[in-house]
Amino acid sequence: MKKEIAKFKINGRIHEVIITPNVTLSELLRDQPDLTGTKHACEVGQCGSCTVLVDGKPTLSCSTLAISVRDKEVLTVEGLSRGTQLHPLQQAFIDHGAIQCGFCTPGMILMAKALLDENPNPTRQEVKEGLGGNLCRCTGYVKIIDAVTAAAEAMRKGGK
Amino acid sequence: MLLVFEKLDSYIQNALENWRLKEPIEKEGGMKPFEYFEPRTVAEATKLLSNYGGKAQILAGGIDLIPRMRKGDIKPKYLINIQKVTGLEYIEPDGKKGIKFGAMAKLHSLETSKTIQNHYPILYEAIHQITSVQAKYMGTAVGNLCVGTPASDVAAALLALGAELRIAGAKGKRREPLEKFYLDYLRTSLKRGEMVTGVFLPTPQPGTNTAFLNLVRTRSDIAKISVAVAIIVKDSICREARIAIGAAAPIVFRARKAEAALIGQKLVSEAINKVAETAAGETTPINDLRSTAEYRKETAKILVRRALEKALEEIKA
Repeated sequence: MKKEIAKFKINGRIHEVIITPNVTLSELLRDQPDLTGTKHACEVGQCGSCTVLVDGKPTLSCSTLAISVRDKEVLTVEGLSRGTQLHPLQQAFIDHGAIQCGFCTPGMILMAKALLDENPNPTRQEVKEGLGGNLCRCTGYVKIIDAVTAAAEAMRKGGK
Repeated sequence: MLLVFEKLDSYIQNALENWRLKEPIEKEGGMKPFEYFEPRTVAEATKLLSNYGGKAQILAGGIDLIPRMRKGDIKPKYLINIQKVTGLEYIEPDGKKGIKFGAMAKLHSLETSKTIQNHYPILYEAIHQITSVQAKYMGTAVGNLCVGTPASDVAAALLALGAELRIAGAKGKRREPLEKFYLDYLRTSLKRGEMVTGVFLPTPQPGTNTAFLNLVRTRSDIAKISVAVAIIVKDSICREARIAIGAAAPIVFRARKAEAALIGQKLVSEAINKVAETAAGETTPINDLRSTAEYRKETAKILVRRALEKALEEIKA
């Protein structure tokens, strides 16, 4: 299979890697730039743990060929904070105890970011529907929805 | 010049040595190798398809294809990614006759389209009830149709709406009603070198009322049974009817006998019950982990009845 040098823009940084076309985005992220915040769980696009944002759109990285997102902007959970300043969503997840085992958290936070980018003032029902593709096996949904709602408010007040 | 090449060569060598992805590629569950293409036009794509025939596979949203390739269920030798083909993302009016949307129109774009919400509400409902937002951002309606699964809610809705496919091939273009597209389980009428480029939806005739219903184990699972109906009622008599049923046969299909039985009838509960029974008789469901065939047949009857009642309620309202 043809190997080629491909350029990826991940969390604002350019990464040049040699890839073959059969590598998924999640495999690439976890292996080459060592961004293991993106989780492999079901690996069939059912659980949302591998969610990243590609050009701002929520994307299941386990079901995306890395080669197909060359030259696009990829945002993983590692790219959310500014130095030690956490993103309002990250802070809200901590404040509201919206983390149990933590495995679904990166996907939840990125999906929530996509949701709030499109709809800065969602109802509780809209938050539930927005996170419909993200499973929490600890079933800690109530606190997650609390956290997203609180983060939405913080972001509207300019905590972005 | 030679120096440049040497530099480039040593750069590649270095990068190759640093390359640590070799292992995951070889690991069990990794995808089999394939040759990858990114055509920019439909003509380029259909040329590749006709060159490689059955060994080629189109990649649109990838939400169905990539997991199946990873599992090894399908092993295309040539993968043709149509995400970079320009001009396939449209959702727009098609004259006064209806609307059309392209092969790369995402489920999310269709779901949030005001035209779809207002004029084709059952298509909106069939998409809206899909729980994974990510799948709707990535996935396309045309991709969903082309998988050919009988459990496609989108296909059931589009069948009831009288959708027509726009197909391009190396030898030219053709149109095909969606109901002729499905030949058998996972088999469509696409010939070598052909791809679906878009879908045309006729403007519903005045007096059309529609309903979509499905039955699922959990909201995120695919349907055990799905039903979409479109009826035209004038002076309380049914003039036209389309009853589409999903997950109850090798393909999504129209219950033609039930439709014929409905036309010309006054839509009272007795007639509806009888039509629902006829529709259930047209199903040929299977036993699988989601349901038994018997259960599917029984619930097909109930869902057809409820869908017709729901469509009628809309008329009253």
